[in-house]
Amino acid sequence: MKKDVWRIGNHELSSRFFIGTGLFPNPYVQMEAIKASGAEVLTFAIRRINLEATEDDSILQHLQGESYRYLPNTSGASTADEAVRIARLARASGLSDWIKVEISANERTLLPDPIETLKATEILVKEGFTVLPYLPDDPVMCKRLEEAGAAAVMPGGAPIGTGLGILNPYNIGLIVEEAKVPVIIDAGLGSVSDVTQAMELGVSGVLMNTPVAKARDPVGMAQAMRLGIEAGRLAYLSGRISKKRYASASSGFDEFKLK
Amino acid sequence: MTETIVIMGGGVIGLSCAFELRSRGHEVTVLEINRCGGQASGAAAGMLAPYSENLEGPDEFFRLGVESLRLYPEWQSQVKRVSGMAFEYTPSGSLYIAYHEADRLALEGRLLWQKEFGSTGTLLEGDALFRIEPMLSRNVRAALHTPEECHLYAPEYVRALEQACRFIGVRIFDQLESLAIVEWQREIVVQSADQRAFGGDRLIVCSGAWAREHGDTFGIQIPVYPIRGQICAYETEDKPVRHMVFSNQGYLVGKENSTLVCGASEDVAGFDTSVTDKGIDRLRRWNKQAFPFLEHRPPFHRWAGLRPSTQDGLPLIGPLSGSNRVVLAVGHYRNGILLSPATAKLVADYVEEKRVPDYNRAFDPERFG
Repeated sequence: MKKDVWRIGNHELSSRFFIGTGLFPNPYVQMEAIKASGAEVLTFAIRRINLEATEDDSILQHLQGESYRYLPNTSGASTADEAVRIARLARASGLSDWIKVEISANERTLLPDPIETLKATEILVKEGFTVLPYLPDDPVMCKRLEEAGAAAVMPGGAPIGTGLGILNPYNIGLIVEEAKVPVIIDAGLGSVSDVTQAMELGVSGVLMNTPVAKARDPVGMAQAMRLGIEAGRLAYLSGRISKKRYASASSGFDEFKLK
Repeated sequence: MTETIVIMGGGVIGLSCAFELRSRGHEVTVLEINRCGGQASGAAAGMLAPYSENLEGPDEFFRLGVESLRLYPEWQSQVKRVSGMAFEYTPSGSLYIAYHEADRLALEGRLLWQKEFGSTGTLLEGDALFRIEPMLSRNVRAALHTPEECHLYAPEYVRALEQACRFIGVRIFDQLESLAIVEWQREIVVQSADQRAFGGDRLIVCSGAWAREHGDTFGIQIPVYPIRGQICAYETEDKPVRHMVFSNQGYLVGKENSTLVCGASEDVAGFDTSVTDKGIDRLRRWNKQAFPFLEHRPPFHRWAGLRPSTQDGLPLIGPLSGSNRVVLAVGHYRNGILLSPATAKLVADYVEEKRVPDYNRAFDPERFG
């Protein structure tokens, strides 16, 4: 079977799990969980990082010597200008030229501001960043971000950290149908079944932090999520049956009929 | 009813449990393999800072921390009175500093929920901030000021606690090298390396980073890992840092004896307590970003301790269901000093089979199977 790989820009990935590095109980559990997840891409808030010396940073120091790709995010930004400034700082520090644009105006819901996200994406794409915007689960917005040059679109399943799962699977399905860039479900996932559902809807990947880091056993949960992603992906590729209103026996009635 | 209680571990948690249980009239013996307060307890910077240590939301760990902070004024004065020893306890308040405008949203969000749990915090910027902390780097954009938070001098607090225990009749045996739990279901028998046996009705396990080894004895998982913390201290004049200052990279706290303590690393290094250049240099490169006057100063003292960290970040506090003779109190990670009074009262309530607030179920020692 052909190897099931995918791309962000011209970077090839085989894992479909982007994992956030925040909220873990300690660096030991964090490292073990990241290993168990099989993730190739790690994401974190730039404002939490010691940009003057990233090798000293309280989180990044534990990842030295590993070959992860970093997806820093602009969380905390409430305008496009702020997000752009943060992205430039991150790139200047040599961390990565990938950037997750995350702009929220409301500290209670942390829902993304689509207008500011579009503005920031347009600017950052022009500056040569590989931009992955976090945005609402809106098919039209996702299309607009793709047209603005986003390397992937990352609609939220539900508000950050809520673990409510995919609130609008219909929209996610539409986004996948329309998209010409990878779709990554970002935020709101809680359980393995949420993750599997996302993959069955045909998204290219999922981004998670809280459901792993705050599990009773983060290492076990990271592995479970990895398996859920693999199962959902394989199911998507294999094609589920259509739904029927009434029963139909798997061995066909005809052969049992008395002649 | 008076119980005879054996406590394994003479760190801040073991000694606090001993002090509380003896104060309630029980017979208490503390067993320590090295010397009391010789590990994480004595190495701690002594910050009583549940608001600055919990950034995400009001979970059970935060609630236990706030409860412990509330108990502290009375608790520490009792320890001082009974021991006849003094130790620093400073209601300095804290500043959680931020360098990015983007941190504002997170600080505001934190303040919103922490105000519901006793914080009278405010967000400070510019002159208002530099007036109360004059030496702070002008690159700091904003800080969350939490007046409720305090700090104490941990080595002296633990020494006073030990003395207080002795004065009220707790029997303390230290330098025991190793301890084996010989019997715990029908009665308690703990044996030391020199074959002495210590018996009682109840066993309290307070062995911090060393607790994991007892999992097999009790037939449960005790996923406690040692995480090394390296700390350094500077000699200063005129106490240049007035508050406890936290950032996402570390903390600084000025002590009464004019030392300025800067911590701390979080190293995965097994039970190795050595201090490394890498660990301390990282602190030195970071702390000048908060206080530029530290730039060319070498720390005069550096040390390390092992924090007992757990798989889900919460301590294990509570009785074993298989035998109500055994109560665990381990895995306090970065917050052993803060949590000592609340843990002591909780453990004593479990021993006396009193009702405890429901949120403490989150600390069930059998939750890992």
